[in-house]
Amino acid sequence: MFAVEVAAGINATLGHSILLIGLVCATFGALATIYGIRTNDHKLLRSTQRYAWGVCAAGVGAFVVMERALIQRDWSLKYVQQVGSADTPFLFNITAIWSALEGSILLWLVVLVGYTVVIAQRFRKRLADPLVAWALVVMFVVCIFFFVLTLGPADAFQRGALGVTSGPGPNPLLQNHILVLFHPPILYLGYVGMTVPFAFAIAALITGRVGERWLSETRRFALFAWGFLTIGIILGGWWSYEVLGWSGVWGWDPVENASLLPWLTGTAYIHSVLVQERRGMLRVWNLTLLVSTFALTILGTFLTRSGVIKSVHAFSNGSIGPYLLSFFGVIVVVSLGLIAWRGDRLRSPGSIDSPLSREGAFLANNVVFTVFAFVVLLGTLFPLIVEALQNRTIKVGAPYFERLSIPFGISLLFLMAVAPVLPWRKASTELLRERLFWPAWGGALAIVVPLIIGARGLAPLLAFGLGGFASGAALRQLVLATRRQGWRGLVGRANGGMVVHIGVIVVAVALVASTTYTHSSRLILEVGKPASYGGHTFELIEVESFTTPRSNGIRAQISIDGGQTYAPAITKFTNFGSNIPTPSVRTGVFNDIYLTLESGAKAGATTLPMKVFIKPLIVWLWIGGALMVFGTLLSAFPGTRRRLPTQPTSAPIPVDNDEPLAEIVDV
Amino acid sequence: MSLSIDRRALNKQIKRWPGWLVLAAVVVIALAIATAGSSGPLTDSDRIDSISQRLACPTCDGESVYESQASAARGIRQQIKRLVEQGTPSDDQIIQYIQNQFGAKTLLVPNASGFDALVWALPAFAFVVAVAGLAVAFRRWKLVADTVPTDDDRALVQAALNDQERDDES
Repeated sequence: MFAVEVAAGINATLGHSILLIGLVCATFGALATIYGIRTNDHKLLRSTQRYAWGVCAAGVGAFVVMERALIQRDWSLKYVQQVGSADTPFLFNITAIWSALEGSILLWLVVLVGYTVVIAQRFRKRLADPLVAWALVVMFVVCIFFFVLTLGPADAFQRGALGVTSGPGPNPLLQNHILVLFHPPILYLGYVGMTVPFAFAIAALITGRVGERWLSETRRFALFAWGFLTIGIILGGWWSYEVLGWSGVWGWDPVENASLLPWLTGTAYIHSVLVQERRGMLRVWNLTLLVSTFALTILGTFLTRSGVIKSVHAFSNGSIGPYLLSFFGVIVVVSLGLIAWRGDRLRSPGSIDSPLSREGAFLANNVVFTVFAFVVLLGTLFPLIVEALQNRTIKVGAPYFERLSIPFGISLLFLMAVAPVLPWRKASTELLRERLFWPAWGGALAIVVPLIIGARGLAPLLAFGLGGFASGAALRQLVLATRRQGWRGLVGRANGGMVVHIGVIVVAVALVASTTYTHSSRLILEVGKPASYGGHTFELIEVESFTTPRSNGIRAQISIDGGQTYAPAITKFTNFGSNIPTPSVRTGVFNDIYLTLESGAKAGATTLPMKVFIKPLIVWLWIGGALMVFGTLLSAFPGTRRRLPTQPTSAPIPVDNDEPLAEIVDV
Repeated sequence: MSLSIDRRALNKQIKRWPGWLVLAAVVVIALAIATAGSSGPLTDSDRIDSISQRLACPTCDGESVYESQASAARGIRQQIKRLVEQGTPSDDQIIQYIQNQFGAKTLLVPNASGFDALVWALPAFAFVVAVAGLAVAFRRWKLVADTVPTDDDRALVQAALNDQERDDES
C-alpha cells in the first residue's frame, strides 16, 4: 500500500513538473525566436529547433505520465478517481485519458506539440527565414496557452480526495466500442492541425510576405489536417451508428457542429486557395478563412467544454470557459488587426473576368460554404442568445439543421457538376453545352434508374440526379486526364480533387437515401415463430443474460432470413446504472438491417420486444468517406507542373475570341 | 475517315439543342412522376419516428425523444404512439399536445414567430448579403479590368516578382 502511495505522489509531481518545463520551453522558444528575428541572429534562430523538441518532449511526457497513472490506478489523482476504475479493460483504460475534459486537453497538447516539432523539423534548413521563424513563434504561443490550461483550469494532475480507492471508469458509451481508440485522436489531428496554416498565415502577415509562396508551403499541412478532420467526422458518424441505438449517424449535436464548423470553412479555404495560387487574388479572403477556421476550433471548444451548452458529448467544467473565450478574442483581434495593418500589401493585382469561370465557381462555392457555416453557428448559438436576452430556454435541434441544409446540399451538388468543366478566366455557353452534355445525361440516368426501382419524392430524386450529374463531370475530368497523362492523370490536386468529389457525392447520395427511405417497426418476436418485416424474416432463438466484472445485461439471438444470427444487447454498467443498448447490424450493399432491443426485454423470456430499421445504402457512407480520404492522398501528390500567378495564364484576356482561349487555358 | 468526320459532326449536332431538349424532357417527366408518387410516412411506426424526431427529451442533454432511452422520452413515445394509433390527423396537433404538457423546451424546431423567427430569417439574410457582396465584387472587378494599369500596379507586380525571387533563393 505504501509503495502505491509513493508512486502516486510521483505521478502528480512528475506531471506538474513536466508541464511546467513545457511551459518554460515554449515561452523561451517564443521569446528567443522573436529576439533572433529582431537582431537577425541566424545562429540563434537555427537553435529554436531545440525548444520545439523540448516542448514536444514535455507534451508527450505529460501524456505518458497520465497514461502511467491510469494504468497504475493511481487513486491519488482526481482525474483517475473520475475516469479510472479497477476493472476497466486495458484498452478502454488507455482511452479513458480522453474521456473527460482535463485529459482531452492533454491529447490536444500532444497533437499540438507534435505539429510544432514537425514544422521545426520540416523547415530546419530555413529556420532563419523570418516567415518560418514567425510561424514557429505562433506555434509556441498556442503551445503556451495550452500548457497554461493544463496547469490551471484543466489540471489533469490535480490531487484528489484522500482515501479514494476506486472510480467509476469512463462513461459507458466510451467503453464499449473499439472506435473510441481512433475517433478522438484522428479528429484532433485534423482539428489541431488547422493551427499550422493559421501560424503561417499570421507569419505572412507579420513579415509582409503575403505573396503566394507561404500558401504552397502550407498546402500539404492544410490538406493533411482537412483529411484527418474528414476521417474523424466520418468515424464519429460510424461510431454513433454502431454504438447508440437510434440508427443515425449525425445528430447536429453542438459538439458535432463544433467539428463541422472548421471543416466547412476549411473546405472553403482549400478551394479558394486555388484561385490565389493561380491568379494571385483573394488574399484577404483566404487569410480570413484560415483565421476563422482556427478561431472556430477554439470557439467550438469553448462552447462544448465550458459547460455553456449541454450535450451528450460535452464535459462540463467550470473555470476553463473564460480562458478559451479570451483566447478566441485575442485570435480574432490580433488577426483582424494584422490584416488591416497589411491592407496595402494585400491588395491583389488581378480581377475576375466572368462569373462563368473556374474562379467564379470557386467564389460561389465559398459563398455556399461560409453561409452554411454561419447557419450552423447560428443554430448552435441561438439557444444561448435567447437565454441571455430573454431568459427563456429554447432548443434548436436536428430538424432545423436538416431542413436548412437541403438548399446548401443541392447547391453544392450543382456546383460540383458545373465547376470542373469550367475553364479559368471565362467560359462560353457553347463550351458548357458541349462539355456538360454527357455528365447531364449521367444525371438523368441517376433519376430514372431509382425511379424504376421505386424511389419517389422530389427532393431525394433531385439530389440523386445532381449527384449523377456531378459524378459525370468528375469522371469526365479523370478520363480526359488519364487519357492524356496515364496514371499521372489521377494525382495532383485537380484530379485527386475529383476523386474526393466522387467520395462526397457517394456520401451525399447515401445520406439522402438513408434518411429518406429508412423504415422501422417495433416487432414482438416469439421463439419459434418467425416474424416478417420489410421483406425479411426475423426469428428469435433465445434471450440470454450475461455478466462481466463491470456490467451485466441481456443479449438476444435473432436469426435473419433463417440464416446467420445477430445479437443486439442491453448492457447495464454496474458503476453507472443506466441501460446502454447495443445494436446489431447486418450490413449489405443495398440495405442495412439494424436491430435494437426495446425496454421490456427479459432474459429467458420466449417473447422479445425489439425494433428493426431497414436503412438503405448506409455502407456507402463509409465507402464514400474512404474515397474522400483516398482522393485527398492523391491530391497531396505532386501533379503536373504548378503555375504561378505571374505566369502567362494571368495575362490580359482577348475580348472576342474566347473559344480557342478556353482550349488553351483548360489544362 | 469521312465516316469519323460525319460522326463528329453528328456528335456536335446532338450536343446542340436537340440532345439537351430531350434531356430536359426526360428529367421533367421523371421528376413529375417522382413527385406525384410520393406519399407521407408509410406506417404508424414511421410516423411515430418522424414526430419523435421533432421533440426534445425533457430530461436529457440535447437528445431527441427519438434517440433517447430515458424514461421520460419513452413515456412521450408511448403517448405519441397512442395518439397516432387513435388516428390523430396531423403531426402538428400531436406536437402541440406534448408541448402543452412539457413546455416550449420540448420543441426541437423553434417557432417562426416572435424573436425566435430570427433563427429562420438570419440565414436568408446572410445568403442575400453574401450574394450581393459577390455581385458588387464582380462589378468592381469589371471596372478594374477596364482600366489601364497604373504605376502603382506595376510597382506591386514588381514587388511580388522580387518576393518570389527572394523566396526561390532562400
